[in-house]
Amino acid sequence: MSNVKEKLLKDLAESVVDMEEDDTIEIANDFIESGYDAYEGISNGLAAGMDEAGKLYEEEEYYIPELLMCSDAMYAGMDVLKPHLKYDETEEKYKAVVGVVEGDTHDIGKNLFKIMLETTGFEVYDLGRDVPPGEFINKAKELGAKLIGLSTLMTTTMDNMEIVVNLLKEEGMRDDVVVMVGGGPISQSFADKIGADGYAPEASRAARLAKDLVRGKMNVAV
Amino acid sequence: MSMLEIYNKGISYSYQEGESLLDILQDSGEIIESPCGGKGYCGKCKVQIIKGKLEEPTEEELKYLSKKELEKNIRLSCFVYPKGHICVKFLNKEEKNYKALSDGYIPDAELNPIIYKEVIALEKPTLKNNLSYEKVLEKSIGEELYHNNTEILKALANVNNGGKVTLLYYEDELIGVESGDTKKKLYGAAVDIGTTTVVVSLIDLNTGKEIGTETSINPQKEYGLDVLSRIDFVKRKDNGLCLLQEAIVDCINSLLENLCNKNGIDIQNVYEIAVGANATMMHLLLGIETNTIGKSPYATIFSKEKNLWAKSIGLKISPFGRLYCLPGVSSFIGADIVAGAVVANLKDTKDNVFFIDIGTNGEMLLSKGGKLVSCSCAAGPALEGANISCGMRAADGAIEGIQFNEDGVALQVIGDVEPMGICGSGILEAIADLHKKGIIKKSGRLKRKEDLDKEERYILAEHLVEEGKKRKVILYKNGDETISITQEDIRQVQLAKGAISSGFYALLDFMDMGMEDLDSIVIAGQFGRHLKISSLTGVGIIPENLKDKINYIGNSSKTGAMICLLSKGTRKEMEDIAKDIEHFELSTKEGYEKLFTKCLTFN
Repeated sequence: MSNVKEKLLKDLAESVVDMEEDDTIEIANDFIESGYDAYEGISNGLAAGMDEAGKLYEEEEYYIPELLMCSDAMYAGMDVLKPHLKYDETEEKYKAVVGVVEGDTHDIGKNLFKIMLETTGFEVYDLGRDVPPGEFINKAKELGAKLIGLSTLMTTTMDNMEIVVNLLKEEGMRDDVVVMVGGGPISQSFADKIGADGYAPEASRAARLAKDLVRGKMNVAV
Repeated sequence: MSMLEIYNKGISYSYQEGESLLDILQDSGEIIESPCGGKGYCGKCKVQIIKGKLEEPTEEELKYLSKKELEKNIRLSCFVYPKGHICVKFLNKEEKNYKALSDGYIPDAELNPIIYKEVIALEKPTLKNNLSYEKVLEKSIGEELYHNNTEILKALANVNNGGKVTLLYYEDELIGVESGDTKKKLYGAAVDIGTTTVVVSLIDLNTGKEIGTETSINPQKEYGLDVLSRIDFVKRKDNGLCLLQEAIVDCINSLLENLCNKNGIDIQNVYEIAVGANATMMHLLLGIETNTIGKSPYATIFSKEKNLWAKSIGLKISPFGRLYCLPGVSSFIGADIVAGAVVANLKDTKDNVFFIDIGTNGEMLLSKGGKLVSCSCAAGPALEGANISCGMRAADGAIEGIQFNEDGVALQVIGDVEPMGICGSGILEAIADLHKKGIIKKSGRLKRKEDLDKEERYILAEHLVEEGKKRKVILYKNGDETISITQEDIRQVQLAKGAISSGFYALLDFMDMGMEDLDSIVIAGQFGRHLKISSLTGVGIIPENLKDKINYIGNSSKTGAMICLLSKGTRKEMEDIAKDIEHFELSTKEGYEKLFTKCLTFN
């Protein structure tokens, strides 16, 4: 019995890695019909597959198109499994706010980060692109978010990341929120310079780092 | 105050501790290449530390330094913050024989320059008539003089009593006088300011002939390779705007002076400079802030044509000299593209024409029987050889041609010297060929050595290297030095290709057209000219089935400037067409992400 479940979970993950959206839907349906727990299907099946896809991206095996196609398959599977989630089973998720900083309209990098954050178990609120600094603060405050993710492709708008960091300080929120930065012109030294908590060159690594940083912060807080 | 010594030059500056070495050097007026503007990701601002103590390099800096370089104490100047006495040596590898594209197709235009001369005989002031020279001149031409600077008066003081005098007109306004008959000496300069290169042509306004051309690398590139880095430089540095304006004005002055000297022409007989350039270059030329161009909604301070006194920005031509800046449309569609639209005759055509200027930004226009729509895409600098691990500009030592044959890799090197790196056209041809020969997959992923061994392609297999999970193709080896194309390089080209071809499809879609409806593809600009049709279609920037419809138009920005000098009518046409170009922003298009990712793969 548990062998069947393990097989289905593995197939779910594989169908995501293989970018086979239709297969993912079919296997997700089988999974539910066999009476297995939807939550497990998401975390040990779909998310595991997406995590694997992220690793392939880091290894340069996959590129943006593959990663996005994997995520299409993952979300299609989610649509099947989500309605079957029992409420008490959904553990409290860390909340994150992501967006492209004001002045920039290029958002593919931010979208990849969002997908990978969801894969690692964050509940993500996406503010979109060209987002004024204050909106990050307001949304994070409203949701009690533990993470703010800032993205930009353009050298000319990088400074808006620093503004967000400083606004957090002014609001007395800096110690409660992890700030991650990313995008074409961003580097570790830039992140250090503006006092951001984390940076990684790839979305999947960034998402793992985000989780570590938020967990670290929570432990310290407790 | 601490001392900074420049080893190569034997000069020293005092400096304030706490700034990066790059900033200190730039503040001291030293020119050091920093394409990324000191952001720490291009790895180009290397210097050798001869004397002085520095912090150990961080992991990030180490990424850009080889073992050999570390042994020689070579560092990235944007990463290090010197303290105390320090001595540095520049490692200038001069770029030799860099040639910018200056020629191109020139459309017919009537010869009717806005600047012209007339010769008259000037009456003498006498004791009896008691007239000023100004009044005498007014009497001679039969109308009153209006002028808003003192140059005419200065010139009048030099005019011979009662001799022949040449009058200089702009449109129908008298703007200058010269002693004697100088009607034969009437010249103008057509200028294209590209982000990377500057081209100046000297034009005889009497005959319409191009006398000569000079080109140079845009000196502003020392402060930032692309448009955004320069905008950032202006924002970051107090006198940044001033530095960049001076750099470009000096460059035009010296190119023009060379041209005049070579051709035995007095620079005082150059009366107008017409300039085609992208919006940022135009702003910098006039010393106008660029901050708003660099962020959404990407607004320019000005886009319309400008008619100014040349000397108002320090251009050293005739004291009556004029400066004409061609009209642009927006931050993306600058005067260079409007010039291209006129040169390629996109307005008066019944054909469907796709026009593209390939560079760091790919600007495109689609004409559907004269109805014009434009868009711009961030192609990134990969196609110009930047952002590529072994990339360099197209100068001596650059590999410009690469073929992966079963009996080995064939290379063509500019100047037939030892290869030093790969230029943009080389990287594009290489990747087109890697795709054609099945060495990369449709996704862009390099195959493994074992994969090629299995296919019994043993010689080529030897060129594939896997370090950890990172793969690359070795092109050339000489001792420890290797020139290779990495997987990451291929990804950079994919990004460029995805950006450009998604713009192409989006424009067609916007005009409700299919690929088969296109009558021709026009490729403009410095860079596009060097790209082979087989490379362009090979990587899928232009679809394969349009390969017979591709035409190169050359430097249409400069050509546009030239015909503006020669023809009043064309100038009007240019100004009209600029009002007719519709623009749409690609990154906000519905479903753009899907289109873009589809365009990233090879077909």
